[in-house]
Formats: sequence, structure tokens, C-alpha cells
Amino acid sequence: MNRLPFLINKIPLALCIVTLGLVAPTVLQADETCNSPYMSNLIKGQEDFMYVWTLGVDGMGDGSDKLVTLDVNPKSKQYGKVIASVSTGGRGEAHHMGFTDDRRFLWAGGLSDNKIYVFDIATTPSKPTLVKTIADYGDKSGYLGPHTFYALPGRMLIQALSNTKDKGGVTGMALYNNKGEFISSTPIPTDMGGDGYGYDIAVNPNKNAMLTSSFTGSQNYMRPLGDLIKDGAAMKNFGNTMVMWDLKAMKPQKVFAVPGAPLEIRWSLKANDNWAITATALTSQLWLVKQDGKGEWNAKSVATIGDPAKIPLPVDISINKEGTGLWVNTFMDGKTRYFDLTNPEQPKQTYEKQTGKQVNMVSQSWDGTRVYVTSSLLANWDKGGADDEQFVRGFNWNGKELSPTFEVDFAKEKLGRAHHMKLGSNALKVVYEVEPAKRTARSGD
Amino acid sequence: MIRYAMILGCLLLASAASAHQAEKHADVAVVKAKMDFVPPLAGSYTLQRIMPAPDGMVMDTQGKARALSTFTRGHITLLGFIYTTCVDPSGCPLAYEVFNSLKAKILATPDMAARVQLVSLSFDPLRDTPDVMKQYGGSHVKNRDGLPWYFLTTRSPKELLPLVEGFGQDVRASVSKKDGRVVRELSHVLKVFLLDKASTVREIYSSSFLMPQMVMNDIETLFLEEQAAARK
Repeated sequence: MNRLPFLINKIPLALCIVTLGLVAPTVLQADETCNSPYMSNLIKGQEDFMYVWTLGVDGMGDGSDKLVTLDVNPKSKQYGKVIASVSTGGRGEAHHMGFTDDRRFLWAGGLSDNKIYVFDIATTPSKPTLVKTIADYGDKSGYLGPHTFYALPGRMLIQALSNTKDKGGVTGMALYNNKGEFISSTPIPTDMGGDGYGYDIAVNPNKNAMLTSSFTGSQNYMRPLGDLIKDGAAMKNFGNTMVMWDLKAMKPQKVFAVPGAPLEIRWSLKANDNWAITATALTSQLWLVKQDGKGEWNAKSVATIGDPAKIPLPVDISINKEGTGLWVNTFMDGKTRYFDLTNPEQPKQTYEKQTGKQVNMVSQSWDGTRVYVTSSLLANWDKGGADDEQFVRGFNWNGKELSPTFEVDFAKEKLGRAHHMKLGSNALKVVYEVEPAKRTARSGD
Repeated sequence: MIRYAMILGCLLLASAASAHQAEKHADVAVVKAKMDFVPPLAGSYTLQRIMPAPDGMVMDTQGKARALSTFTRGHITLLGFIYTTCVDPSGCPLAYEVFNSLKAKILATPDMAARVQLVSLSFDPLRDTPDVMKQYGGSHVKNRDGLPWYFLTTRSPKELLPLVEGFGQDVRASVSKKDGRVVRELSHVLKVFLLDKASTVREIYSSSFLMPQMVMNDIETLFLEEQAAARK
């Protein structure tokens, strides 16, 4: 993967006649609250774009998985519109994405085709391009279903959901360098009380602490949900653990029993905080993983989400940058809920709003004033008929109420099922528009 | 490539700082990464082979053109990109201080010191001439204590670029407004690279993970790995 040719080719010489300088590298703690702390280039102001990793639907448009770019800057004339779309040319259960540590590339995974698509989002942030497809994930690692893409310096750690051998839930993580070359694989432990299942990754660098969570294998996530929930034996094949790792050594330190498929993990970003939180999909609880006074890590259930008996299916969470509030999306009832995390030992739900007939991912701007929601969980788990809405919806959050701002209907636009979203900005562009009038004789072009 | 070389050159020439500030690093209160844990013992873990280090031409403090591999092969190497006028507390001055403190610690173990070298490579070739790098390196340049610390630069942006790209050192142009003026800047996020004697990158540290004790343990881990290989 070429990293700098866009610089080589496109930075205008006009720049040399204005004020320029090498400036500060900065200590970066996180980005839009949920990305790797090793990732540079925060968007602390208004985001310009949203990249939506979208599942292709047979008969809808070109039917392919695609990266859809939305304009999400209210000052833009194209606000709330689709401004670009890049198809992969196939349908492979598009699911999650993650930026490289330099935020120049966006890696996106297919849960069924086992491929990783690398998009250049830095040359032209408004129009990403597919620059590489990594197809050796299964062959190199033995894992299936690349899910979480977690940036480490110069490399990407990729948590899978399944394995190529029996397509069950026992899985692991594979490490690639930023050029897309496989480095190593690490299994999720099946000893120490572990079940070997995987889902998300989250790191606290100051603690050398990495947490992983657990979901289910391809046999389950590719199966129609209606069939699956009637199959008692299959329903036992969900993850019930989280693992605390020594990140440097990449060795598991402790396995926590967290029943009911703990999914997304969010560390508090507040300085000196020593806890992370997750939500369990099947048991509908918030779990806290916290270090005690002796330095020991422990996990405990701290709240319920909705009525667990009704299986609202919490599917995504988003923590604010202060570590004092948490958005929780529940797929079945289509609700977006806000929990006060002022005391993480006792989260309190303070707000809820039905934001769709089915909702999956929830993301927020760095300042927490903008909240975004998508609709699709998995191709075979989304609802049917009129309940199968496919959208991205934007909201403003004033601390009391979510107010709708825009909506893109992904079915009407013939795009597909809207799943994961990441934010982009023109400020992250590595090239500038050329100003011909200011070019000098030395420009060489 | 030529075009970019010229571009980077003029970018750097137009830098806001007007003159070289030798050993500016000594005046900056660095912001250190917080390390709130006991790191794993050296040798208790394996460092991944991330990628081969790139090679290209550089200049030493005498102005002599050399292959970068001259300074990255045969020893355990800690390499960081810097520029001498950088004053960011969490950037180049931090790297300098970490290198300096590590050098003292490594020298306490002479066997290991004989196997380690440090490299500071400028990515401001038009201003950081060999003479400037010599001033920046100060007493470290003469290598009187037995642990080499090389202060390298390149002849031109054209020679620098393949190295920057090969290592994956983030360099980004940005635009901001200061005092009502549009200011265009070239920024980077600090990265330090640990290489084994085969010039393979084994660890990369960014600002939030550049913890001297961790780096020390990693260097010792590579040293122990070398010793174990030699015994086979």
C-alpha cells in the first residue's frame, strides 16, 4: 500500500509561499470516543463526512457491499446527502471498520467472504477509493469473520468472530502491518475458564490493558435469526466471557464470566479512570470491568437495559469523552437509550427514544452534541417487511432530547443495509487544491 | 518524486521558525506518557516482526553519504525521526529525552551496550544539515562512551521520502487560521522504531506508548533473543 504518493503528486507548490512549518505531534487519547487511542488526528470539531459500511442486498442497486459517504456538515449544501459510493463488487456480509493509526486508511471487513477492504480516505476524504483487498486472512490465521479493526502503531489488530475449520465461535486475533502483510495470530483462550469466543477489542495504553469480548460463530451469525432462536442447542453457542490481556506480551491474564454475549467495549477516556464498560446482547445488562485498590481487575453487572425478559438486544454503545454518559442502542425495540455514568458502579437510564423500527450502531461526535444511528445488524438478523427499515439518522443532543437532523433512506437510495459508520473530515486531507496563479517556476509540473 | 522533493523542500524552507536552534531540545519540558502498570519482564514475551526497515541514502555528521542500513544492521537499533527545531513537548524533545535516558541505562550493562545503537534521523533535510545535526547531537556525536548515537540527515527531500514512506512515519499537511491568516503546516505524530540486528522493525512506539522502561525491556528482550540464537 502506497502511503505517500498522494503527497508526492499533489501538494501544490503554492504552499511554499505562505506561512508553513513543521508542527507539534501530540499525545492523543482517543478519537470520537470509541477508536483506538493509538490513532492520530482527532476530529474535535464538526465532522464533514460519514463513511457507512453497507451490506449489499440482492436486487437493490448493484447488490454489492459498499462504502457509502454521506455529507454530515450542516453548513454544506449537500448536508444529509449521499456524495460517494464505492462498491466491492461482491456481497460478503459487510460489518465493521477501523482506521489505521495515521487515519489515512479505513479497513473494512466482510464476515462471510472473510476479506478485508482497505479504503484510502486521506487523498480525497469526500470520495474514498478502494486501494487494496486483503484475501489471506483465513489462510494465514485460520480465523473467519474479521470484526474489530483496532489500530496499533504501524499495524492493525483484527479480532475475528469465527474460524475456518468448523465455523464455530472459537476464534482469535490476527495482526497485520499497515502495508497489509500478515504478522501473527493469537487465539482467544480456551483455558483459564475461557470459551475461546471473540468480538471486540479495547486498549488502555496507560495500563497495558487490553480487553476482548465474545459473540458467536459463523454457524450462528449467518443463520436466520428466527430459526436460530428456536434452536436451543445453537443458542448455547454464544460467548460468555471477557478476557483481560497483557497487551505488550499479548498474553491473557484473566478471564471474566460475563454471560450473554458481551459486545462493544468502551474504556472511560477520563484521565486516571481505570474502568471499561460493555453491554451483553442476550442478557441485556451493562457490565463494568474495573481495577480495584490492589490492582486486580474485576467484572460485575451494574445495570439492566430495558426489560431483559423481552430481549431488547443491546447491540452497540457509545461513551462520551468525559466518561459520564453512555448511549445504548437496542435492536428489537428500536430504542436509543442514555445512561448516566457519573457513578459507573450504578449507571442510571435517564432518557430513551425510539429512533427506528430496528437500530444497530450508535456513534457520537467528540463533543457529544451530535448522535448518529444506523439500522442493520446482520443480513439474516434484520427484521422483515415494513420493519426492515434501512437508514442513517442524525440527531442533535442538547442533554435532554434527541432532535432529528437528517435521514438517508438506504433502501430508497438503493444502497443496501447501513451498518457501521466512521467519521471523516476535510481537515484530514493530505492534499490541497492547486492554486495555479501562485505556482512558481520551480513547480516542475 | 522530484516534484514532491521540491515541494517538501519549499515547505521546510518556509517554516515558521527562522533559524536553527541548536539543542533546543534541552530547554523543553517534555510530556511523558503515563505508565500505570508493571511491564512484563524482558524475555518473557516475543516482539513481532512487523516489517523490514527501508533502506536509502543518508548523510552522517561529517556530510558523508552512507546507506541507512549501515546504521540499522548488525545492532539492535532505536530509530526516531526528528527535526532540530521541534519544540513540541510530546514530540522530538520527548524522543531525545527518552533516548538519552535509555543510553545511560543501557551503558550500565556493557554486554548489551555493545549490541545497541541509537539513530536520530531528521526529516527536515534542508535546514538540518550535517553541521546542524552535529550541533544537535552535541557530545553524543563523538561516541566516547561506547554506545553509538548517530545523528543523520538526508541530502534532499527526494532522498528522505522513501525512508519516511517505508517506515510509515506519519507526515500530514494541515490548514489552520492564526491571527486571521491562513497558515499551512506540515505535522507529524511521533513514532520511534525498534529494529533487530537484521534491520527488521520489531516495535513501534507512538507518543502515548513511548515509555522508557517498556522500551528498555524491549531492547533487553531482543538482546536475550540474540543471545539465545547464538547458543543454538
